[in-house]
Amino acid sequence: MENLPLSDETAKSDVARAPTSQRNPRKKRRRSAARRGQNLYGWIFVSPALAILIVFLVIPIILALYISFTNWTGITSPFASAVHFVGLKNYKTILTEPGLAQQNFGTAVRNNFYYVIFVVPLQTALALWLAILVNNKFLKGKGFFRTAFYFPSVTSSIAITTVFIFLFSGTGAVNRALSFVGIKGPDWIYDQNGIFTTLLSSLGVHNPPSWANFQILGLSIWNWLAGPSFGMCVIIILAIWTTSGTFMLFFLAALQNISEEAEEASEMDGATAWQRFRYVTLPMLRPVVLLVATLGFIGTWQVFDQSFLTGPNNPTMVTPAYLAYQVSFSNFAFGEGAAIAFLLFGLIVVLTLVQRKFVKEDLTK
Amino acid sequence: MKKRNIVGVVALSTALMVPLVATIGGTVASGATTVKLSGPTKGAKLTLMYGSSGTAETKAVNAAAAAWGKASGNKVSVISASNFSQQLAQGFAGGTPPDIFYLSSSQLETFAKQGDLLPYASHVASPSAFYPALVKAYTYNKTWYCVPKDFSNLALEINTTMWKAAGLTNADLPTTWAKLLADAKKLTHKGVVGLDIGNTLDRLGAFFAENGGSYMNKEGTKFTFNSPQNVAALKYVQSMAKQGILAFPPQQSAGWAGEAFGLGKAAMATEGNWIIGAMASSYPKIKWQAVAMPAGPKGTRGTLTFTNCWGIANQTKDSAAAVNFVKYLTSVAQQLRFANAFGVLPSRIAAANAYAKKNPSVAAFVQGAKYAMPQVSTVGFPTVQAAFDNQVLGLATGSANPVTMLNQLQSNAEALLRP
Repeated sequence: MENLPLSDETAKSDVARAPTSQRNPRKKRRRSAARRGQNLYGWIFVSPALAILIVFLVIPIILALYISFTNWTGITSPFASAVHFVGLKNYKTILTEPGLAQQNFGTAVRNNFYYVIFVVPLQTALALWLAILVNNKFLKGKGFFRTAFYFPSVTSSIAITTVFIFLFSGTGAVNRALSFVGIKGPDWIYDQNGIFTTLLSSLGVHNPPSWANFQILGLSIWNWLAGPSFGMCVIIILAIWTTSGTFMLFFLAALQNISEEAEEASEMDGATAWQRFRYVTLPMLRPVVLLVATLGFIGTWQVFDQSFLTGPNNPTMVTPAYLAYQVSFSNFAFGEGAAIAFLLFGLIVVLTLVQRKFVKEDLTK
Repeated sequence: MKKRNIVGVVALSTALMVPLVATIGGTVASGATTVKLSGPTKGAKLTLMYGSSGTAETKAVNAAAAAWGKASGNKVSVISASNFSQQLAQGFAGGTPPDIFYLSSSQLETFAKQGDLLPYASHVASPSAFYPALVKAYTYNKTWYCVPKDFSNLALEINTTMWKAAGLTNADLPTTWAKLLADAKKLTHKGVVGLDIGNTLDRLGAFFAENGGSYMNKEGTKFTFNSPQNVAALKYVQSMAKQGILAFPPQQSAGWAGEAFGLGKAAMATEGNWIIGAMASSYPKIKWQAVAMPAGPKGTRGTLTFTNCWGIANQTKDSAAAVNFVKYLTSVAQQLRFANAFGVLPSRIAAANAYAKKNPSVAAFVQGAKYAMPQVSTVGFPTVQAAFDNQVLGLATGSANPVTMLNQLQSNAEALLRP
């Protein structure tokens, strides 16, 4: 900035003569012109990325928000004369009007809720455990184990889910294996009962108490508390197994950043292995734990592909993301589908904020 | 005598008028709407989008497009969609729909309501050339929109090896509900269930029709799902399921009833004529025959029909060429070519009769065309039907109650008709 060429010489001599009050504005002007030039280059450099973001992200989001307030059917232009602005009607149909749309949304949220509360803690714990295992200095064949644990993550989730559907079908391998030990397995994917209600009915509780008949989002409290279905449990196990590899890498990178001195010092102080993990390693990993939990949280609320394969004709496997797709493309109710998508978006934002409030990044705060 | 003459004259003049008017002005009043065709009849570039059932259909459609294009001096590009309804919707949403496309009767109302469909059908032929149930399936607001392409009906397939092994003869063929029940009982033994039927309204509805029930009233203004006839029909199915002589495909780990039938897990199945191709390609060793669906207790015949039409987009610039192409596609000769290639039943009565004569095995499927009931086409019905279909498995375990199921179906469907 200070070494601008040529004119600088004349400027300097000017400055020398001119009173201070005049000095600053001129300098400022030239400086800002140069900065403007720099800013321009900056914008030019980021413009391709920005254009892609605007065309493929910002505009579609705004358009989707607009569509969620219309009765668009998806088979005309969204700006055609037949498309009407219907205000909050789509949101009302889903949230406040008793009916099928509300019940389907409630069911989808319940299914996904159980998916999230089982998958997020378990996958985080498993990923951390695997990372610690493969970070062990004395482990032989580290490369092999790291690849092996990461492998499920790079496999297509549609393919893995299909394999699981075969394994867990009514007469699939799992039920065959169970039959050898005399257990008659359920029809895993299609059984509509939740695991908690199944447990209760095996204890002799078949009918809900009267308070559990109260309806929230078209679903009785009894149904909300039913727990994930057997099929959902299968998908939960699948998700934990496939995604823990990715998060293992996050933890592994963080673990390798922890200096050995800290560990050795604690060892000298007589800490046991557990104490070393609990009071030295884990606190240092805290930001990564939070990152993994947040990413897991957002990702699990958007689960779609597993639902796409097992969801048709199977209400306990439908998630809000899949419901939005189904309502839009098989019912041609794109307004309602977009409304579901935005409700899901709102749900994720609110729950993530709540989660961040409870799991603080920094212990000192 | 005189009366007959007048009818004859009217019929003759209408028959003459239709092609005459079509060639001169290109305007024909079809119900409430009058459509004017536009664009050249030569040198037009048309697009046709369809969802293929397999290579046989792909080849046949491509061949037909090429043959007509060559003969008429037009060009047709054929798009085979992998996710048909999604791609079709995207075409319309983007303002560039295909000129000609398959359209299921269940989606007619959705597309017609949006003004996406050209009501061109009466340019092609008189409705009497087609099965009335099919013409009705493509009529919305008294306007006949598109020409039925073909159809498939449900029939009852019987594994003849198992049939004979159970000591059953032609006299025992399940022509009534009582016989079906008795046959299914005799055919059920270890590992084999008498009858496998898809757990969806699209199969169970046949029993509604056989019992004199229906989905909607004759005018198509009100749903009639919870009628006593339908309740009794569903109870009949449930009683068989509870006795273990009827199973739904998921109970037998089958994707559809045809799979359970082909694998020998079921002695009978209720599927449409698409099962002919599937049996020939996947389970060629199974010996089987098809008979018409049984009649209900009062002797009523009933079955379900699934059909597509040739839709023409309202936005097309070459409607004249497109209509000419559909004329070619729905001619008797071309319909027979399609039927021979991939086993769909021709929608023209003359073509269907000729096809059934040559292929006696499809007679049972064609037979139902006179009384078959089409799918509901009300906008938003797929979700309502899904909610019903989801409960069908519960009929076997006893967790679902036919009366509650049908009442729910009725009230959910009624909600669609409310403004």
